[in-house]
Amino acid sequence: MIKIVKRDQPSRAIFFFTPVLAIFLTLVAGGLIFFILGFKPFEALKFFFIVPIADKYGFSELLLKATPLCLIAIGLSFCFKSNNWNIGAEGQLTFGAIVSGGVALLFYEQEGFYILPIVILAGAIGGMLYASIPAILKTYFNTNEILVSLMLVYVSKLILDYLVVGPWSNPEGFNFPETRQFSDSAKLPLLFEGLRIHAGIFLALAAVIVSWFVFYKTYLGFQMKVSGFSLKTAKYAGYKGKKMIILVFLISGACAGLAGVGEITGPIGQLHREISPDYGFTAIIVAFLGRLHPVGIIFASLVVAITYLGAETAQIFMQIPKYTGQVFQGMILFFLLASDYLLFFKIKFIGSKK
Amino acid sequence: MNTNLKISNVTKIYPGCVANDNVSLEFNSGKIYALLGENGAGKSTLVKILSGVIIPDEGEIYLNKNNLKLNSPLDAKKNDIGMVFQHFNLFETLSVFENLIIDSDEQRESLREKIDSIMKKYNFSIDLDIPVLNLSAGQKQKVEIIRCLIRNPKVLIMDEPTSVLTEQETSELFLSLKKFSEEGILIIYITHKLKEVMQLCDEVAVMRRGKLVSVSEIKNENIESLANKMVGQNLKTIKKKKAKTSSDQLIKITNLNFTSEDPFETNLMDINFSVNRGECLGIAGISGNGQSELFQVLSGEIISDKNCIEFNNNYIGDLDPQERREYLMAFSPEDRLEQAAIPQMKIFENVALNNFKSSNFFNNGLINENKIKEHSKKIISDFNVNTDNIELKSQFLSGGNLQKLIIGRELITSPDLLICFNPTWGLDVGAINYIHETLIKINEQNKSIILISTDTDELLKLSDKISVIHKGKLSKIMNAEEVTSEKLGILMGGVN
Repeated sequence: MIKIVKRDQPSRAIFFFTPVLAIFLTLVAGGLIFFILGFKPFEALKFFFIVPIADKYGFSELLLKATPLCLIAIGLSFCFKSNNWNIGAEGQLTFGAIVSGGVALLFYEQEGFYILPIVILAGAIGGMLYASIPAILKTYFNTNEILVSLMLVYVSKLILDYLVVGPWSNPEGFNFPETRQFSDSAKLPLLFEGLRIHAGIFLALAAVIVSWFVFYKTYLGFQMKVSGFSLKTAKYAGYKGKKMIILVFLISGACAGLAGVGEITGPIGQLHREISPDYGFTAIIVAFLGRLHPVGIIFASLVVAITYLGAETAQIFMQIPKYTGQVFQGMILFFLLASDYLLFFKIKFIGSKK
Repeated sequence: MNTNLKISNVTKIYPGCVANDNVSLEFNSGKIYALLGENGAGKSTLVKILSGVIIPDEGEIYLNKNNLKLNSPLDAKKNDIGMVFQHFNLFETLSVFENLIIDSDEQRESLREKIDSIMKKYNFSIDLDIPVLNLSAGQKQKVEIIRCLIRNPKVLIMDEPTSVLTEQETSELFLSLKKFSEEGILIIYITHKLKEVMQLCDEVAVMRRGKLVSVSEIKNENIESLANKMVGQNLKTIKKKKAKTSSDQLIKITNLNFTSEDPFETNLMDINFSVNRGECLGIAGISGNGQSELFQVLSGEIISDKNCIEFNNNYIGDLDPQERREYLMAFSPEDRLEQAAIPQMKIFENVALNNFKSSNFFNNGLINENKIKEHSKKIISDFNVNTDNIELKSQFLSGGNLQKLIIGRELITSPDLLICFNPTWGLDVGAINYIHETLIKINEQNKSIILISTDTDELLKLSDKISVIHKGKLSKIMNAEEVTSEKLGILMGGVN
């Protein structure tokens, strides 16, 4: 007989074990889906999770995809830790990319060491500006930040659409919806000849280190922790709730904006309609899979990045749509939430009475 | 007909705790039995076993010599055992009648007649066709009782029934219970209030740490003897020395109003009072009459007009809690687990919640862990918190120890004024005594207290002046020695 018993306290070991369990269950379920679709499950999973990263190029692609995921997820964890539900990172990424792209276009065909820092800064500011909208509406007008931040994603995508088709479109571009290529000084340097991995990865690593320091060593981190457990306690302790909401949104927006900069000044090199395959949304999964812990987020971003690559390989070799990648991302989140049940309950096997 | 209920060798073990350790008890109708014990003594477990909510690991229950197998609350009902829980199980939006018939398969018409006759017999007057949410707590409880009576129970179990009632409602309840008992219903009354046991019951069974420690007749007991049995140690009786009459005003509240946007909160209307140094002002009332809002306004969680609150000759109505702490105010909220402390955080982290400048808990935005830990150790030893591990998560502290930690955290700044809200709620007698002694000590050091409490005895014991809050309004402030619990009860019920 199986009996479910409530735990006396949430288990710390299980806390870090459930993400692993979730990934395992995702693989099992994924294999099952492939089987139903008529593929050999192990072969399909190999194409999905091993083939894409088997060589140097593949590994660089993995880091390339993991970089924005990690950066955004770090930013989001500032919000999630303190009970603020920013799910509009995709919009903040897009707006950051728009602002930094606009600045990069101002320096069209110009060279200079000062250009890149300005472009990067512009992206961070763009993301912050865009994130400040739900933050200010929440603090001063009591709106729900989930709705506002989500809907602003579509607004920013439409602004980008308008710009690349209209005023910013490349005059020599045969009406393709894209801007001119940025000058080399406005691009992030590549790390290795022939590979696409770029200096943006250092931004992500810096964010990991800074966030670890803030979370565990500063008064701000302590206040975020308290607010995350109980807003009533935060109020009673006298923390400036409004200031903190705005601050965490700004940090989160800056990170998303920087991720946008990384994409357009890295592998893309210009603005066009599809600068992000929903990195901003996927990063929410990454943040939770990584348990809002900076180190956890590094691993989670690598795991989730594989689903992007695997989907592409699977499309090429198995002729299945690349949206399978999103199915896998959805399954990871689903199984993670489901296995969180084990945090609070344990399963006991009891020998049946004769 | 005589009813005999026998509990025989009942044991229930939870991981890490024996809730009922081989308990045997026998009850006979015609008497009212008290089941007395501190929180965690095992009395709730025992009555849950009797009402089928919990299945015991060992032991038997006999009703009139029949062995009962109670596997669900329905089994208990079928066997004529009725139970009224401390927290009402009523559908607020359904009418009284609908609530009464919801678990019955009898005809509506015949049930209505039956209910009418029950109400007539016991002098209950409740409109059967209004929604339950319009009833007072006392009326809701009567609905629960009627729901039991419909089934002609042989046994009626009442679990801490007076915690939400006024004095008047309590005495009405006692009259009804005595009547039920005369008619042959066996009554088991669970409480930790000694006075009620003395007033109402014929026999008393005392439990401590899962064990039955004594069964005796009330006429052989008194409040002290019962208290000693409950706690298992001789309690010191605390007496408060009459405060020196000081006219040195510390805090003055003038024309304070608060209108909430939340319909479930109570608006505060025209609050005026002042407290002198060395004084304890008690604010009595039934919970939900604006105590929580008043506490928040005083602590700064709700900000009011600057001039409404004058503290030590400063106007501080517009300051937040942290800023008020710098003026030497301290606050102990009602909810220990969701507001005053965070159970998932370590003890020393909870200490850092009371952050005042001179503590240096945080320097230049960085956590100064050594300072916080040093401070936490001092609180633990000064305030008798029963642990020596400040890295322990607070959830592992008992309610009493957590409250000592909170009070200690607030008092370590030696504030001029401590505002506390139900500081001993749900604590055992030992911890209550400790907190009360501490509060008296504060007054003796010429510091002041505002004590918002729903426990009348506590207020009468500790206060120099008392006021009653009812529907967001304060009654006039009375000297404690002029006040009796009956008088407070009338004011709490809203009669002026």
